[in-house]
Amino acid sequence: MKMWKVFVKSMREKTRDRLSLILSLAMTPIFVGLYWLYFSGGSMVYEVMIINNDINVQTSDGTPFSAGENLIEALRNQTYSDDQSILRIRIMDDQDVAEKRLKDRKSQVLLIIPETFSETILAASKGEDPQPVAVTFMGDLTNPYYSLAAVLAYASLDTYVQYITEDVRPIQMNEIPISGSGARTEFELYIPGLLIFSVVMMIFDASMVIANEAEAGTFTRLRLTKVTPVELLGGISGSVIALGLIGLLLSVATAAMLGFRSYGSLWLALLIGGITCISVIGAGLMVAAFSRNSSQAFVIANFPLVLFMFFSGAIYPLPAVNLFTIGEITVNLYDVLPPTHAVVAVNKILSLGVGLNEVVYEITSLVILSFIYFAVGVWLFRRNHMKLT
Amino acid sequence: MNNVVVKAESLTKRYEKLTAVDNLSLDVFSGEVFGLLGPNGAGKTTTINMIVGLLRPDSGQVFINGIRVAAASHVVSESVGVCPQASVVWNKLTCLEQLQFMGEMYGMQGRMARKRGNELLDILELSTKTHKRANTLSGGMKRRLNLAMSLVHDPDILVLDEPEAGLDPQGRVLVREYIKSLARVKTIILTTHNMDEADRVSDRVAIIDYGKLLVVDTPVSLKASVGAGDVVEINLERQTANEAHIRKALTPVANQLSIELTNSTLILRALNIIKLLPRLMECLNASGIQTEDIRLRENTLEDVFLHYTGRRLRE
Repeated sequence: MKMWKVFVKSMREKTRDRLSLILSLAMTPIFVGLYWLYFSGGSMVYEVMIINNDINVQTSDGTPFSAGENLIEALRNQTYSDDQSILRIRIMDDQDVAEKRLKDRKSQVLLIIPETFSETILAASKGEDPQPVAVTFMGDLTNPYYSLAAVLAYASLDTYVQYITEDVRPIQMNEIPISGSGARTEFELYIPGLLIFSVVMMIFDASMVIANEAEAGTFTRLRLTKVTPVELLGGISGSVIALGLIGLLLSVATAAMLGFRSYGSLWLALLIGGITCISVIGAGLMVAAFSRNSSQAFVIANFPLVLFMFFSGAIYPLPAVNLFTIGEITVNLYDVLPPTHAVVAVNKILSLGVGLNEVVYEITSLVILSFIYFAVGVWLFRRNHMKLT
Repeated sequence: MNNVVVKAESLTKRYEKLTAVDNLSLDVFSGEVFGLLGPNGAGKTTTINMIVGLLRPDSGQVFINGIRVAAASHVVSESVGVCPQASVVWNKLTCLEQLQFMGEMYGMQGRMARKRGNELLDILELSTKTHKRANTLSGGMKRRLNLAMSLVHDPDILVLDEPEAGLDPQGRVLVREYIKSLARVKTIILTTHNMDEADRVSDRVAIIDYGKLLVVDTPVSLKASVGAGDVVEINLERQTANEAHIRKALTPVANQLSIELTNSTLILRALNIIKLLPRLMECLNASGIQTEDIRLRENTLEDVFLHYTGRRLRE
């Protein structure tokens, strides 16, 4: 009962600090929006500039043949699963202007189609053995998007040439996307991690609200009452979990509005978010245990935030550092971080559409780790701020 | 009144090499206002924290109503209310919400805590601020709210740490009158630097320094113990303020008064000192000791305090 009263009191305080509340709840939806902008509303679109020097030729029956134009059309027709174009084609006349755009990183690739392109392709399609012709790919190799754009453009070129020349390759790639992954946009791929990131962000709130109580002396005041440390910390933690779940819901809603499609149970994902909150609060308590005031807590909280954010794969998947294997389970160094399991589980649920039975390992690990983090946090906080000396 | 409700036995608390409280024992009787005086760092707060269960003594024990105090036990939480020196409030909660919350944390029903909160806000003249958040209150109002929060569960024993600090004269009078009204109904332990405050409200006063209890008695007895009656303070010319010379000059009246010289101020205490004054001046003049001004006043608790703790600055 007292835990509930502490929860109500903490919620009152939080909801009355409107600026902090709005900023903390808006943070992740803003990140979701940023990712949406980053991926052009779905997946990344690469700009390919083309200088088409190709001279049209005529086939034996007198039909005009323009391999250059056909190639440009093929490049335009490359799309993601949601029919969004992969490449944005910009036809250029002046190479100097095009190179300036490359230097300014306004485009990723400049493709120059030679004059004899149609002639060569036509000859090859007739079974002749024409002199190879060079299609030029120009770009800034220090631009990380150059390689991707060049590979994608080359793939279109290669496919087109194979089609026209009927050049059958002995090996063909057969890509089978697991579950619904083939239909995901790049934006959608990052959403599960971002949802867990929204929970991880609560570490500031968790550590600062507790450090603030210690700093203001209200903890000491409450120690003289009948409330137990578990009731006190439980009530405060409850309010952080509530806000964490609201933040998570807002992030899901924002993502959904921007085109994110969930293939699995949102409720299960929310449950995982709630459990992750407990571990984040545990880390927040550890931070608060070593903080004398909320400002110090803010500074210290950045350290676990970075660990949780980057090493859990919430922002970007990291290569695993395998430690040992038990049966079929390989334990990775980053598995000691509860959000690692949360990211994997939420990704499986929302992106691959799996059910509870396929995330049992992740949820079990998450529950155990969250309990350990919370217990350690409570122990450290009691030892440093609430224990008799 | 002679029923002991707080008993501290041989309390000692050390912080590394510093002995904050040194084998301190004291009894506080039911219904009395007990003043705990001491310079900064004397061990007052440490003593109070051990009494209310916030600090564990290295040795010794505390009994509240005859029951040994364990850390934050029900004995302490039900019987004792603590009003800290700083205003410890939740800035985002209204006055009534804070009082209701504190009452609930002490185990009161929400409705009862609310009723009690309203009563206290009325008594401490904060009823117009009932639904105002603490961050909108003035410093003095916060101090009064701070006091109300320590009283919400209606404790038998009230521990007040500098209750008049930060209050304007009107606030001081209000709080002082309220403390007086609580006396006899509740037992009050008061720590303060304000000797006037301690003198006005305390039934008994204890002075501690360097963690030791120096003296405990009623203010009247304490004042009498350092020189009954009145005090004459004479500012002397620096060149003539030689203690040996002064004592020699005052030999004819030495058996009727106490003599103390601080810097160039001669402090003389005696019963009916006005009658002695002409003779005193005669002795001083005869020895060539030049006076700058003379003040006559009654003996105060500050005299007692300085007598026992000295004039050297602490901290």
